Amino acid sequence: MDRMTRLAVSAALVLAASAGSFLVARGRVKPYSPAAPGYRALGPADAKVTIVEFSDFECPACRVAEPPMRGILKLFDGKVRLVFKHFPLERMHKFARPAAIASECAGRQGKFWEFHHDLYDHQSEWPSEKFEERMAAYAKNAKLDLAAWSACRADPSADAAVSADVKDGENAWVGSTPTFFINGKRFVGAMQLSERGTPWIEKELKK
Amino acid sequence: MSAKIPPSGPSPTESGRGTSSPYGSVVGVAARVLVGAVLVYAGATKAAGPAEEFAIVIGSYDLLPRDMVLTAATFLPWVEILVGWSLILGLKLRVAAAAAGSLFAAFLFALLTVKAKGIELPNCGCFGDGVHLTLTQGLIFDSALAALCWLAWRSSPARLSLDSWAEGGYTGRDHAKR
Repeated sequence: MDRMTRLAVSAALVLAASAGSFLVARGRVKPYSPAAPGYRALGPADAKVTIVEFSDFECPACRVAEPPMRGILKLFDGKVRLVFKHFPLERMHKFARPAAIASECAGRQGKFWEFHHDLYDHQSEWPSEKFEERMAAYAKNAKLDLAAWSACRADPSADAAVSADVKDGENAWVGSTPTFFINGKRFVGAMQLSERGTPWIEKELKK
Repeated sequence: MSAKIPPSGPSPTESGRGTSSPYGSVVGVAARVLVGAVLVYAGATKAAGPAEEFAIVIGSYDLLPRDMVLTAATFLPWVEILVGWSLILGLKLRVAAAAAGSLFAAFLFALLTVKAKGIELPNCGCFGDGVHLTLTQGLIFDSALAALCWLAWRSSPARLSLDSWAEGGYTGRDHAKR
């Protein structure tokens, strides 16, 4: 074997080792479902563009992403569908999961978005010792059947629905919130959504 | 009557590289494998995850133009992996050691800039979502690895390397002249 062949074999070895280490780190690609119950979706079911949002009600970056998201929904009214998936970051936000369950139970009475808006609009108020009091106030604002809502919060199926979303997020390599998938393309945070999300939606709508 | 004629030129141990002694050789191999392994781990954990996540971290350093951040987040992990494996396997060892040293110098510059600007980093981005280092830990870690890059650079030509195999076997100082 001459010198050039040996060098080529050496380079191929380095490339193979690099590809191998990437594959080992990536692991097996797991299935991820973008689906969610209808009460957590906005916009027509047959919309050309679907935005799947993984979000945490206690996360300040998710609150920052709310105005651009509402702007997108207004701008592309009737052409875009938004699907909300729970992704509470429990290591950092101890009220995130109970808030997600409370919103899930509001959703089961068809009032998910009213509750969702209250949670983000008053994010500075409820992650505290006043949590229960504030949740009850938002439930009243949404005109929920309070007894049914309270029973639902104790029902393991509401917690399981949140856990299923978290698993979907983990399978989709969601590492931080908010993460958006617009027709499958990932955008992380308000800035990526604002700067690159809108042109991407326009491009998808032209297809 | 006979006179001892001193050998011409410096002996291999005077070459300033330290590769001829077994001790220097072992230290050199250890240094390059350690730095290489760190780079491969750091690069692979980031390359395996979404570039958009890493882009958030790079963006928080406020060093690159915003439209370059995603491109950097896509390619930087692969540079780390390739340089890491080149060090471990000893391919173009001096180039790989210099590239690794440049990477750590760039990381140190980025961390010092963040410190000077008073930016609060949620995560240094050193190892993707795996290991989170504080700013001070990152500075110490990168400085130590930059020093090891210098040892790796000095270890070339090395016996246990693809360079040695590609050049037809280890030949000490003469090897470097090829």
